[in-house]
This record gives sequence, structure tokens and C-alpha cells, in this order.
Amino acid sequence: MTSFQSTLGEEPGIAEELAESQQAISIAEFFEKNKHMLGFDSGARGLVTAVKEAVDNALDAAEEAGILPDIYVEIQEAGDYYRLIVEDNGPGLTKESLPKVFGKLLYGSRFHAREQSRGQQGIGISAAVLYSQLTSGKPAKITSRTEGSDEAQYFELIVDTDDNEPEISVEETTTWDRPHGTRIELEMEANMRARQQLHDYIKHTAVVNPHARLELREPQAHFKFERATDQLPEETEEIRPHPHGVELGTVMKMLTATDSQTVSGFLQEEFTRVGKKTADSIIDAFRDRHYGREMRWRPPAVHESTEPRSADTSSEQHPREDGDLEAAVTDATANKGADATAAFAEAIAGAVDDRDRIAHHELLAIVDSAAETVEEEHGTTFGDTVRENAVDAVWLTLIDELSEESDEVATDAETTTDESRLVGDLYELVDEATSTRKDDEIVRAFAQRLAGKFADAADDDVRHRVTRDELRGYVDRVAELTEEYDDVAFGDTARENVVEEIWDVMATVPDDPPLVRELNGDRDATSDLVDAMRATDIMAPPTRCLAPISADLIEAGLEKEFDADFYASATRDAEVSGGDPFIVEAGIAYGGELEAEGSADVMRFANRVPLVYQRGACATTDVVKDIGWRNYGLDQPGGSGLPNGPAVVMVHVASTNVPFTSESKDAVANVPEIEDEIELAIREAARDLKSYLNKRRSMQKRRKKQNVLGKILPEMAEKVAEVTGREEPDIDDAIARIMNNVLVERQVEANGDSQSVSVVVENNSGTNESLEITDIVSAEPTALPDDATAVEMDGEWFVKWEPDISSDDEATLEYEVPDDATFDLDVKGVETEKLTVKQ
Amino acid sequence: MSADNEQDAREQLIDLAAQFYDQFELGEIPHMSVPTRTKNNIEYDEESNVWVYGDRESTRSANSVRGARKLLKAVYTIDFLADQLDEDRSSTLRELYYLSESWDNEEAQFTSQDESNSLIEDLEIVSGVTREDFHMRPEESGATIMGPLYLREQTRRGEREIHCQEDVGEGGYQIPNNPDTIDFLDCDADFILAVETGGMRDRLVENGFDEEYNALVVHLKGQPARATRRITKRLHDELDLPVTVFTDGDPWSYRIYGSVAYGSIKSAHLSEYLATPEAQFIGIQPADIVEYELPTDPLSDSDKNALESELSDPRFQTDYWEEQIELQLEIEKKSEQQSLASRGLDFVTDTYLPERLDEMGVI
Repeated sequence: MTSFQSTLGEEPGIAEELAESQQAISIAEFFEKNKHMLGFDSGARGLVTAVKEAVDNALDAAEEAGILPDIYVEIQEAGDYYRLIVEDNGPGLTKESLPKVFGKLLYGSRFHAREQSRGQQGIGISAAVLYSQLTSGKPAKITSRTEGSDEAQYFELIVDTDDNEPEISVEETTTWDRPHGTRIELEMEANMRARQQLHDYIKHTAVVNPHARLELREPQAHFKFERATDQLPEETEEIRPHPHGVELGTVMKMLTATDSQTVSGFLQEEFTRVGKKTADSIIDAFRDRHYGREMRWRPPAVHESTEPRSADTSSEQHPREDGDLEAAVTDATANKGADATAAFAEAIAGAVDDRDRIAHHELLAIVDSAAETVEEEHGTTFGDTVRENAVDAVWLTLIDELSEESDEVATDAETTTDESRLVGDLYELVDEATSTRKDDEIVRAFAQRLAGKFADAADDDVRHRVTRDELRGYVDRVAELTEEYDDVAFGDTARENVVEEIWDVMATVPDDPPLVRELNGDRDATSDLVDAMRATDIMAPPTRCLAPISADLIEAGLEKEFDADFYASATRDAEVSGGDPFIVEAGIAYGGELEAEGSADVMRFANRVPLVYQRGACATTDVVKDIGWRNYGLDQPGGSGLPNGPAVVMVHVASTNVPFTSESKDAVANVPEIEDEIELAIREAARDLKSYLNKRRSMQKRRKKQNVLGKILPEMAEKVAEVTGREEPDIDDAIARIMNNVLVERQVEANGDSQSVSVVVENNSGTNESLEITDIVSAEPTALPDDATAVEMDGEWFVKWEPDISSDDEATLEYEVPDDATFDLDVKGVETEKLTVKQ
Repeated sequence: MSADNEQDAREQLIDLAAQFYDQFELGEIPHMSVPTRTKNNIEYDEESNVWVYGDRESTRSANSVRGARKLLKAVYTIDFLADQLDEDRSSTLRELYYLSESWDNEEAQFTSQDESNSLIEDLEIVSGVTREDFHMRPEESGATIMGPLYLREQTRRGEREIHCQEDVGEGGYQIPNNPDTIDFLDCDADFILAVETGGMRDRLVENGFDEEYNALVVHLKGQPARATRRITKRLHDELDLPVTVFTDGDPWSYRIYGSVAYGSIKSAHLSEYLATPEAQFIGIQPADIVEYELPTDPLSDSDKNALESELSDPRFQTDYWEEQIELQLEIEKKSEQQSLASRGLDFVTDTYLPERLDEMGVI
């Protein structure tokens, strides 16, 4: 999808392209051939798709103008046809923009934009217009009124199917009761067989657009969906493409179009999240791919300090001294005077020996700087030829290819016990990279063969410059030889480890990257650049191009449309898939009036648009089915598939480019990154559901226990009284204690003319409880403590007291009232299952 | 049994109900604690040489639905038992189980006889009154006595004076459920011979062993019922008769001896009332298997495990038992009492028993 999408962005439009290549085919034929892709494959479906496209358009129009959408949809029977009317309160359209919006297939302001929007491909409403025209022969009737204008405009619009050009056939002014907005009326061949999908679509739209007011009038029914919030979705901004999400073809086109001269400039200008530093990293990665890296060998000085560690081979080592390098430079330098030559040689040899490892281009830099220093001190000019000679001499010494004899030594390394420094260097690296179980001899033989590879390569490129793939080729070849001759396995992991170890010590070359114009048209180099962009760590794209619904509004939307007991929602952080940022949100409604029989409903949304067809093909459905819902307290026959029970699961994928499985935009494609996020979002919401269900179950258990004990204990008390011949005992305290309940008890004692009241709260539960106790008294209470208040209202006094009582503790409120007072206790802050009130 | 005893039992039961009453009144959760009746909570009482319950207690509390049901049943049972004592009636454990069906409260009805049996045990322990005093009896175990003993039994149909050799048939005198209703009038016996199996008991009677050796032959019928153990203890305590136990030669039979001598897990609260620590074991000893070359069966794995666990059982921690058990583990064989018949039908009465009893110093 991504490639199709981004490539499409640069093309004149798929319809024209196809129409051009098949000149005899008209747009009508094109439509006829592709209507299944566009969602108009049947009359039933065509109506739903038309509603969907018109409503999406209407919502977008209102939102873009910062208006809370108020949308009216009507379906009328009109003889053999159905008439669809969609009205919005958007800003209205001008005569100029109108044909473009409604008439021309594949016109769309958002076709190229990296920004979240409902319609993404510009096929939408114009396809509906075309469909109605093709099936009924009637024009689209459009009424529009812009804000502030006195009158509305009425148009009739027909698409010329030969050249895909819209024509306004009728234009007049009219009156309309909306102060601003657009009304479109389409007549089409249709039927109402897909009524359920239509209702789903409207209802689901209401859920994810809690800021919109929707109305649907059908021949026999009328539905209204009021808004739940006045908060418009945040405005989105367009962003440039992210380097991780572009394809080779796109980059090649971007290279053609850019004004930048350098690759660095191109990267910074054309992509999001790329600054100087990131561009440098990408270019380094590009160099590694395009030019390869240079092997860095240890200079002799380092060798002498490290080599003796392997005692068994040091004795056979060629005696080498620092003098070798100086001598080599001296030999290679002619006619520069003894002092200057000596200084030059010493400077180079010194600088080389100071390094731990050295690559060819690093040597070049050393020679250059030595030459300049000596030039300054001795006044002798060290020209390019001299410098080159010096570099060659030192480098060949370093890689043991200085002379014919040593050349023999190097090439015969495998057959003699003699070892070059290359072998030593490589041995060290290979030894580090392979597991300790590999025999030392094998590792040494491997290093020798690998050194041979490098030596052979020197014939082509003395600089030992290889790409990672070439290096892997060396290692593969050597590993095969090792397996063949030494009869040991040298597996893929071991090979990769060796490559990794060597690649790490190799140096990125300083070669300038090609200029944009050089890159332009060079497919291989551009491919290297794309690879480099992918391989570089780059910050995720900004998310201001996305407008998630937000967890709160998801719950508000669900609450508005579903009468459930419980709602949960989750909004994930933005992630990136194929360079497009996306956010996944999930919501769950449970219980209440939801259908308890059968499986839960799954509502799918992409960029706030409900997806009502192809449920089975959608990544969302797949993820919901794969989740183990039993873990979250829902019934799931067989442990997989849709959960059963009174639940609604909604998933919203917001992205600058939602990957759909087809052009009709009915199902989200199975993209792993998106699936992961969908799963995490659902699980997040499901965790809340689980704790709600657990709590509900424990309360149910408590209620059940209370019911059983509430029956047994009084019977027991009665029997005990019977056996002992006493009055029946008072069991409320015992029951409160058994239930770990909070017991609120009022005792009243006559006290002369007045009564002393004490309200005792006994907390038998395992947690601290904060209660709000209101004692409604019919006479004025006196002698209230400081932490209680009494408010009079209509001749009743509300004594308010809010004690915090820790577990197994009790608190008492005492006050006095006149003799004839009556009381009524009201306790809040504790679940009713946990509360026993005695008064 | 005296009326005092009945009155006492009734009061104990009502006290228990009153305890629940008080717990309700104090706002406490009604509860009842009883010692845990499992093997792990049985301790050997060094002083009385019998098995008693340890310190571990289980609480039946109305805190849970289960506990509340148990207590409700307990109260209904108390009510029933109090009425039964009032009316001087008695019933069997099984009757109690069926009788609960007639209670007006379904929650109080028992779901199994195990439940009602265990509740009666609970009440016994908590009230300190034996179930015989509640007038609760088990099904007749059918255990019998044969021998020169003259006694008076208080039956529901008046007093009966019975001589356990002369007034009874070959089956012997059947031990009543509550042997405390018996008065011993006269006794010519020299010792008690408690026998595990019916076949051996019949052999002894047929051979006239009780007459010849003045023995009281008590038939245990496997694991002895409470009444059998109680009357054995009374005969020992009141008539000063030595008690000997004659069983098969396998680990399970040693446990029959153990329960006669030291008490059992289910009734450890009554050990002092039921157990006769002075009881002696005749055999079949593993040594007898070797000495008399008796026909044998090999030990099964469970037999071996049982023997192993007896080695660590304080009841069998004597030199004698250790020696015998180790010998049996070594020969890996067991023999039944009746395997003595391989030496002839009279061998047991003419040779084996006289030799063993002589060795033990009984005759």
C-alpha cells in the first residue's frame, strides 16, 4: 500500500493514467470495471458507500472550518430509485471549487498530504456522484451557502464521462434555512438490504465523533445522535515524509524535484526529523554501503607490544622494528635532502606508530600532515608524487606487500608457518568473535585464509576497501574452506559474528558523497541511500499530523451510544510504520443493555471513519480474535476468537496513511507494527475491564454470601434461642463483622427532655474507609462536635459528618435533639454490599 | 447409665448452644474450635500410654457460608439430641442422618452420613460427653464375647443376667453399643483373648479353648468398634484380667493391636476411656512365620510402606516391635492366623497358643 500510495502521489492519477493507456476506455467504463474496488459493487452496498463518502466529506468540511459538525442524512424512495440527501453545516462551497470536489474523479486536496484525514484518496464523493449519474441518469443536485451570504446557490452537476470533466448544467440562487453549509442530493439505483451496515456506519460515526450531531431519516425510521462534547478534534498539520517510510521510486522522484545541491541538504530539506547530525549519520551509512569501509590494520609498534602474548608463534615472527617504516619512507623519497627526508620519514613513522589501528585514508592524512610540517620546517616541497610514493611505501609495509619476497611470504602464508601481521590482526578479531569452543588451530587457520583473501583483494584495491556484503563474501568463502579442510562447522552465527567484529574495526571512508545531480538517475547509488536512511536511527515523526480521539472522548462516545455498565479506553503513544506515524486507540463497553447473547461487537475505525465491511479481512478483527479474553474475565469459547458476552470493543487507527487491504477502504491491512499497537491498546483497556469484572465478581460473591448468611444466621440465632430458652439474640453486629462490613448504627437515649444520639461507625473491612454520613433530623440538633455540620432545609436538619475510619476501628458522632425528633440515616462512600445500617 | 449422666450430657449440649448465643450477643462471629482430627495432630501421651489429640485446632466459624452451615447443623443437632435425652430415646448415627431430612430448614440437613458422623464427633469433643451419653449409637458391630463371665445388662426391656458361656449359643454374647450399661457379676476367666478374624474365633470356640484355659474370647471383627474396645478396657480395669490380642501377621493387623492398646485417630479424644495400654500381642509374629514355617504371601508395596511407617510410629517404638518389623521386612512375607491350620486344626489350641501364652507369662 505504502508504495502505491506514495507513488500515486507523484502521478497524474490512476484513472487518467489507465484511461490514457487505453484510450478507448471512458471514465464510465473505468468506473464500471473498478466499482468493486470503490465500494459500489451492488445497489445495497452502493448506498452505504455513498452515505459514507458524503458524511466523511461533510465532517471534514465542518471540522476544517472549526465548526462543530451538524449533519443530516436522508434516504427517500424516488420511484425506481433511491434519493440520498446529505446536508452539513460546513463553510459552503464556491462555484469554482464545487465541480472539483464533487465532479472530478480522483481530485482531492489531501491526496498528497501526510496528514490524518478521513478521505485519503480523493475517490470518495465524486465516485458517488458518478455512480448516481450512471445508474439513474440524473445530475447531482447541490445547494451551498457560504457564511454571510444572503442566498444559497443551487447547482446541477453532470460528469462528462468521456473526458472526466464535470459540467454545471443548472445554476440558480435559492433559499435555504441553514446559514451556511452544503447539501447534496443524489438519485441512484439502490436498495435498503444493507440497512444494518448503514445504521452501524452512522452509529459508529457518532461514537468516534462525539463532537458531531448526526441525524438519519429513512423512509420508515428516524434516528438522532446528539453530540457529547463541544470539543473539536485538534487541528492536524501536514508533515514531510519520514526517511524510514519512503521507497526507492519516491526518493528518485524527490531527487529530480529538489532544489538542493548536496545530499545532506536534500535530506534536511525534504524529510522530517532530519537535521545536520542525522544527515551526517545517513551519509556515513551511505558511504559504508556505497564505497565500503577500509580495513584498519595494526601498525608494527602495536604488534610488537601485543604479539608476544601468543607465545607459540612469536618466535617464528619476522623480526620487525620501527625502523622498517622509516626505511620504507626514506627509500621511497628521492631528492629531498637527507635531513628533510629523515624528518619526513620520522614524522610519518611516529604518527603511524601512535595509532592503534590505521586505514589507508588515515595514512593519507598522516602523510599529508607530515609533508606540510616538514615543508614548513625545512622549506622543501613535498609534492603529490612524493606523498603518494610515501603512502604506497608505508601502506605496503603495513600490509606486508612491500617487496617481492614479502609478497611470497604473504601468499604462502597458508602453507608455511610464517605469519604476516595481517594474520595476527585477523586472528585476534576472529578469536574474539568466535565461541571459546572453537579450536585455536582452527581459528588460526581461518585467520590465515582470511588474510589471504585480503591479500588477494589488494591486487584490485590496495586500500583494502570493502563493503559489508563483500566482507561477508570473504568470510563465507573462508568459512567454507575451513569446513572443507578442517572439518569443523562454521555456522551462520559464527560467520556473522566475525563479519561484525571486523566491520566494527573498519573505518568509514571520508569520500565526499555524490551531489544530488550525480545521484539523480543513478539507481544503485540511490538504493544505497535509501538503505542508509532505513539503517540510521531517526526520531519518530512528529504526531501533530495526527488527531486521536483521546481516551476520555472515546468513553464519552461509547457512553453516548451504548447503555453499558462499564467503559474503558486507552490511547497509545504514536508509533511509526513505513514512515507514517500512527496512533491506535481502543475502547471497551461492557454490561448494561448490551446484547449478552453471542459474541461481542467489534467496531473498527480508521481516521475516525467506521469500517463496516470486510470484518474478517481486517487486522483489527484478527488481533481481537487472538487475544486471550478469558484472562480479562470474558467468555471465549475455545480460548480464541471473538469473546462472548455483553461487550463492545472499538479500535481506532489514526495514521497519515492507514494501510487498507483495498481501495474501498474497508479493512486495515495486517501490518505487524500496527497489529502490535492494536493489541497493546486493547489489552490496556481490557485490563481495566478485568479489574472491573473482578470487583463485580467479588461484590457478587459478597452479595451471595450475604444472602446465604442472611438466611442461615437468623435461623441459627432462632434455634439457639429455642434451645437455650432465651430471647432471640441481636445478630447485626456479628453479620457486619462476618461480611467485613462497615456498620453504621444509631443509638438514641432519652436524656430528660432531649435525646442523646450517637452514631457509631464500625469498620470491619480490611481497608480504610471514608464515609459521608448524613443524618436527616426533624428537629434542630445541638451539641454537635466540630467535625460535623447541621444545615436546615425545609424544616429538616441535615447533620453531615465525614469520618475516615481505618480498618478495624470505630468512630462515634454524638449530638442531642429534642424529644420528639425523627431520624433518617444516609450513608455514602461505601459500596452498598459492604454497608450495614442500623437505625 | 444414671439420670445424672443424662442430665449432665444435656446441660453440656445446651451450654454449647448458649456459647453461640453469647457470641451473637457480643457481636462476635459464632465459632467453635475442635482439635484437628488428622494423623498429624495425634500425640502419644507418655503418662497414660495412649493416643491423644495435639494442640492443633480447626475452627468452625460462621465467617464463611460453609462454616455457617456447619454451625447451623450443629445447633439443630444439639436441639435434636437435647430432645432425645429429654425423652430418653436413642438413635443410630445413620438415623440421625436420615432424620435431618425431616428438619424444617433445608440448610440444616446433612448431605452425607460422614458429615453427621463427624459433627457428632465434634460435639463429643467440645462438650466432653461421649456419644453413648447422647444416646447415639453406631450400627451393631456384631462383636461377641465367649467365656466364663456372668454379667447383668440393662436393656430397654429390663435387666438381663447372662452367663457368657452357659446362656449363649455358639455365637457368644453380643456386646451392646453402650457397654457401660453392663455390670460384671462374676468372672472365672484368667485372661482375655481378643481375636481378629471370625474363622479363628470359631476355631477356638469349637476346640473349647475358652473352657480349657478359662479364657474370655473377644471377637474384634477387624478394626474393633468403640464398644468392643470399651468393654475390653473395663474387663481389664475392673476384673484385673490380662488382655492378649491375636491377629494376622501383617502390618494392618498390628494396627488393630495398636488401636486396642493405644487408641485410634478418630477417637483419640476418648483414648483414656477406650484404650488398654497393657494389652499384649500374641501373634502371628514374624518370628512365628519363621519358627513354624507357616504358609505365606509375599509383602506388597503398600505392606512394606505400612511397616516402614510403623517403624517411626511411637506406638511401636519398643525393642520387641522393632525386631519383629525388621524381621518381617527382611523375609518379605506375611501370614494369616488361619495359616496355622497347615499344621492341623488343633495346632493352634494345643500348641501355638499355649506356647505363646506361656512365653508371655499369661498362663
